[in-house]
Amino acid sequence: MVNLWNLIILDPMLNGLVALASSLPEEIGVGLAIIILTVIVRLALLPLTLRQLSSTKSLQSMQPKIEELQKKYGRNKQKLQQEMVKVYKEAGVNPAGCVWPMLVQFPIWIALYQSVIRTLATAPENLLDLAQHLYSWEIVNSAIPLNSYFLGLDLGQQGSASGLGGLFLAVLVGGTMWVQQKMTTAPSADPKQQAQSSMMLLMMPLMFGMFTLMFPCGLALYWLISNAIGVITQYFIGGGWGYLVPSSTTQPYGKVR
Amino acid sequence: MKKKTLIALGIFCLVALSAGGCMGGQSKPQGFSGVVSNDGILYLGSTDGKIMAINPSARVQDLPFPSSSSGEWPFTFTLPSRGTLCGSSSVPVVMYGAPAATNDMICVGIYNGKVLMLNPLIRSQNLPFPQVKDGEWTYPRTDDAIESIVGSPVVASDTVYVCSSDSRIYSLDMTYGDEKWRSAPLDGKLWTTPLVDGATIYVATFDGHIYALSASDGSLLPWNFETEVGFVSAPVLYEGTILAGSFDRSLYAVKVGHDKPLWEFPGGNWFWAAPVVEDNIVYAGCLDGKLYAINGKTGTELWEFDAGSSIISSPAMAGDLLVVTCESGNVYLVDAQTGDGRRVNNPDDPQNAERSSIDASVKGHICVQDGTAYICAQNNYLYAVDIAQAKIDWKFSLKTE
Repeated sequence: MVNLWNLIILDPMLNGLVALASSLPEEIGVGLAIIILTVIVRLALLPLTLRQLSSTKSLQSMQPKIEELQKKYGRNKQKLQQEMVKVYKEAGVNPAGCVWPMLVQFPIWIALYQSVIRTLATAPENLLDLAQHLYSWEIVNSAIPLNSYFLGLDLGQQGSASGLGGLFLAVLVGGTMWVQQKMTTAPSADPKQQAQSSMMLLMMPLMFGMFTLMFPCGLALYWLISNAIGVITQYFIGGGWGYLVPSSTTQPYGKVR
Repeated sequence: MKKKTLIALGIFCLVALSAGGCMGGQSKPQGFSGVVSNDGILYLGSTDGKIMAINPSARVQDLPFPSSSSGEWPFTFTLPSRGTLCGSSSVPVVMYGAPAATNDMICVGIYNGKVLMLNPLIRSQNLPFPQVKDGEWTYPRTDDAIESIVGSPVVASDTVYVCSSDSRIYSLDMTYGDEKWRSAPLDGKLWTTPLVDGATIYVATFDGHIYALSASDGSLLPWNFETEVGFVSAPVLYEGTILAGSFDRSLYAVKVGHDKPLWEFPGGNWFWAAPVVEDNIVYAGCLDGKLYAINGKTGTELWEFDAGSSIISSPAMAGDLLVVTCESGNVYLVDAQTGDGRRVNNPDDPQNAERSSIDASVKGHICVQDGTAYICAQNNYLYAVDIAQAKIDWKFSLKTE
């Protein structure tokens, strides 16, 4: 299973990343290759992302109805479930519709993550491991070991050991993730739900900010670019800044069916 | 509700922290320093960060470790953490290069960026380190460190030479640890062991050069050899020819003073380990799992032996045999003339041909002494292989309290 994963997904992506880095100027090769590969992967997955966004929009637009049902049948879970299924069916919405496009994207994200982390081999063990994944292409071999510096940051080093640059990267990763989430998180009339979603809105950016300090900066660069693409996609597909700017949140995703 | 959410947030952060760990996403460096011997005592770096002296006789007799009367000791050297998140904790050392043993002293270069000179006699007394009056020192002397050291230090003419990831070679006084000189940066990390030949030092670099430097002041000498691809293995000198493995999956033989290689031998992957030369035959282990015997003059293949998995450590000569280890943990005794190999069976399951000789991968330097090969495996055990019998005599756990 592991061999199949390496053969079909990881190795092509990893070698693609190295070959890309090899064909770019050495001083910025790895960083730029991570950015370009992230953009390519995100663009390739755009149809799935759009599908996911569309499903999320439909679900959000039905939130007032669902809250009404929750108030009405809150104590009778079975009845609530039946009514919710009925409402979803009438509206032609599949509640799981926003999950499967995300699940399909996961292996690609994981492969991209693994490619970035393996390519930036910092210790001898990592370089030995990388040797098992590289093709015998000249363009790949001539690039090894990659120059891991990009804009003054050692992409192979943990953010916490990268001084101010690492901290700045952590803030950027956390910040872009917060913006992306805020754009799509609809405010709820229920104070409990509102408190929960507010907490979630903070949790993920904080967590990834911490990850940035603990993982190699190259990975943080991938998260940053990925978040930035997410924000841009939301902006153009969702029609503006969504719930990020309160005044524009009257109908951020168009009319309710 | 707020309390519950805060608890959830706390758990979430804890999970995130434990998932990431303080070392980040890449596997934590473990090291694979291997074994050397001096006056019958084995010196090695364990995978849990200790530098150890082990007397094989004491291990055969199964004496309690450390048997200080037999010259045994474990030594733990810790450094303050340099991360901003991990606080002021100390980190254990990680070693890749084998220790250098000379003049009753042991010199080690550690991945954490320090060179340590140890006096075995003092270490067996467990006195605080370093005992300067007894010839012990650290370089740098302060809590500072240079960039990571991966190759072994080399001791020659009362001087210690060591390469660092900051792409410099350092020359240190063997008695006091004072810096004699440091070379100008040579481009790319220097993960190699320097090759000292009289007044000249040769290094093979990640940026594809073999440089010659003056041993007296570290200045670059006029000759250097350049390829488009970096060198991965430590250089070896044999009758005026330097041998080094490259990232282009070839082993290069370069006559000193020449611009073109004498020959190039293609492998199926990198030649990570430094080759061994005997009677004009080059024995080179490759990450493609094969040991190649190559004519030293022409570069033509004489035979190859398939070990089945990556050969990371250099083969060790033991008379007419070569001791070969590989990542799967198998140990082979290969006839140097014919390439016929015999596998050493696992002592816990000798009839099982599927089970590796050692239940862990082997990456470090092999030491052959008095008909026994000593192998330090990644499971933190030291194995003694009786070469004549082709069997593992004993194993010893390096995990001490």
